[in-house]
Amino acid sequence: MTVLKPASIPWLLAHELRLAWRGAMSGRKRGAIGTAIAFGVAGVSILTVGVLIGLGARGHEVPIGPLSIAIAGLALAVILTLMLSTTLAGAADALYVRGDLDLLFSSPLSPRKVLFVRALGLAVSALLWFLVPAVLLLTPSIALGHPAWASVFVVLIAAALAATGVGLLLAMALFALIGPRRTRTVAQVMAALIGAAFFLGSQYRNLIGEKASQSLFARIALDAKEGRLQPPPLADLPLRAALGQPLPLLVLVAVGAGIFLLSAWTLGRRFADAAAATQGAETRKAAKGPGRAFAAGAFRATLRKELRLMGRDAALLSQVLLRVLYMLPLALVLARNAAHEPAWMLAGGAAGVAFLAGQVAGSLIWITVSAEDTPDLLALAPTPVSTLNRAKLTAALIPVALLLVVPVAVLAWFQPLAGLWTAVGSGLTAWAAGMIGIWRQKPGKRADFRRRRGSSFLAALGEVVVTMLLGAATALAVAGWLAWAMLPLIVAGALMMALRRTEEQIAAALRAAAVA
Amino acid sequence: MTEALIVRGLSKTFAKPAVSDIDLTVRAGELYALLGPNGAGKTTTLRMVAGLTQPDKGEVSIFGVDARKDPAAAKALLAWAPDEAMIYDKLTPLEYLEFVAGLWNIDPTTAKARAETLLATLGLTDEARRRCEGFSRGMKQKVALAGALIHEPKLLILDEPLTGLDAAAARLVKDMLQARVDAGGTVILTTHILEVAERMADRIGIIAGGRLLAEGTLEELRGKAGEAVGGASGGGTLEEVFLRLTAEPA
Repeated sequence: MTVLKPASIPWLLAHELRLAWRGAMSGRKRGAIGTAIAFGVAGVSILTVGVLIGLGARGHEVPIGPLSIAIAGLALAVILTLMLSTTLAGAADALYVRGDLDLLFSSPLSPRKVLFVRALGLAVSALLWFLVPAVLLLTPSIALGHPAWASVFVVLIAAALAATGVGLLLAMALFALIGPRRTRTVAQVMAALIGAAFFLGSQYRNLIGEKASQSLFARIALDAKEGRLQPPPLADLPLRAALGQPLPLLVLVAVGAGIFLLSAWTLGRRFADAAAATQGAETRKAAKGPGRAFAAGAFRATLRKELRLMGRDAALLSQVLLRVLYMLPLALVLARNAAHEPAWMLAGGAAGVAFLAGQVAGSLIWITVSAEDTPDLLALAPTPVSTLNRAKLTAALIPVALLLVVPVAVLAWFQPLAGLWTAVGSGLTAWAAGMIGIWRQKPGKRADFRRRRGSSFLAALGEVVVTMLLGAATALAVAGWLAWAMLPLIVAGALMMALRRTEEQIAAALRAAAVA
Repeated sequence: MTEALIVRGLSKTFAKPAVSDIDLTVRAGELYALLGPNGAGKTTTLRMVAGLTQPDKGEVSIFGVDARKDPAAAKALLAWAPDEAMIYDKLTPLEYLEFVAGLWNIDPTTAKARAETLLATLGLTDEARRRCEGFSRGMKQKVALAGALIHEPKLLILDEPLTGLDAAAARLVKDMLQARVDAGGTVILTTHILEVAERMADRIGIIAGGRLLAEGTLEELRGKAGEAVGGASGGGTLEEVFLRLTAEPA
């Protein structure tokens, strides 16, 4: 920072990136070695694939034909969509998570410059997720005879700029249409939907019940081979740009930078006004009508409080919505197979439902237990910790039960026994994930929900392994191999025993975490 | 007069000793002010009394209940309100009070009536069903105070209760605390506003470096401050007494 001119755009950008980096790394200090190892393994794996591609592509040129054009276009569309999901959520946060915005606005810097840099920070954050793997994947090919492929990096930069521009425009449009109070919620839900769009697209056969056996890629390949694929005009632009052709590359960069500059620079003033307008925007109209009777006892009061807080958490709702979307194709496949196929054909779907139930329960228990806003208040109360934990576990399991109602009911309608085992397996998986969340709790903040797994590597790994084992047991039970289902069940039980902590051990771990 | 709080030999060390061998007695029905410079050990002492921090050694008795042997019974008798309000931004004041009353197992009908009365007294009736996220710091402090009072604790412990309150709200809180003491309740508070302690406290404890330097009425403290500088008991405001007692030896 010191080598950069204070208050300049690079200086401000360095400040933004430093904050973003520290935000991404917060809560990972204890698991820093584990995180470094995970990143290292992923990096080496991608690099290995990159070397293989580089060796395989030596002496070959990418043909510019309908198939390669379609693949390049589709890849860019997926990347743009995922980037947009990130930048839309980031743009909404930039309005609300004020942090240093008040400080910056009260300084002699122009608001437009501040927000331009914030937008640039968003673009860089979105870019890095794709640029780093792309560098590892393509550098061997670039070194082994395809220097023009370095243009892919420029295409990614253009995509990040365009996605940021569109993200800002969408955030501002939401702000104008539905006001400051609802913008953050809707933006986060929209970001989740956009992020899941291609997953749902790839599942179109499951969603519409098409019997065709080939995948989307195989279908495109077949269409190209049989001459049915006719790319529209300019559809070859991404491929030509990625291969280093100057004009297409220039066009993509101009479009990306144009969208970014248009929204970040020209909307700067409006964005500043909108950010200022969010001050106090959380004040809601008071509820009317006769007040509800108070809940009796600590269990009910805690359960009611947790359900209220979950229902009012936009980030959490969008994450749960994502999982519902992931469950949708699975549920439809299950429903269709349940009507026509034997029980063993349902095993994979049942395992998937059980695994997702565990994942949702794991997320929710983190919110209710680890992200408790006022742990001191609970510690002060004469209520036993076990009562509070029971209430929090119940609160985490209620939404899971609601999610499971439809797939289990459909399954039970056609094949009651398969429905019963799916319900039992999913319930057990959700409960197990909840108990691991209670035993291995580590204080965190609701805002860190998306990074929660970084705070306790062991708990996250344990949760995934146990939910997978219980998913496998569910599958075996649904298939009718009950004796075999005992095997993963016993292993999961043994793992649960290893992860279990008594109330005293949990309290000691929390005290140790507080001192650290 | 019975003792509301007896503390004996209370000690806590984090990286360095925070509280060392503190003995403290607070009588039932009095307002006791615990004063000390920043980092003196006031909050750590009170957190140990409230059961929020585990002492390394020492005893805490609340109205005769051993807080270390029977923490649930001790907690049922007290309330703790720190300077950072322990509230939920996404709950309304009424919902918050419902939750706190549930934690202390108060009958729901009684709790609701008390909640409405408390919010009215604190001037929060119009905000009772609005989420706390848009509230000012002072309003949040008032909600937290209502939470501390909803189960009518016999011992109320407040850490810097006037932080962030405007003059009118501060006056309101002071009046509420005084009314509570007049009605036989016991209040322990820490404050940096020495004038408040001087005017309101029945007795004052002065803590520095994790040790209780002096304890007593203002008059008794004046005497101790006089002895500390080698002179006879003199007059002086609490501020002068405080500075004399907490002054580092030259």
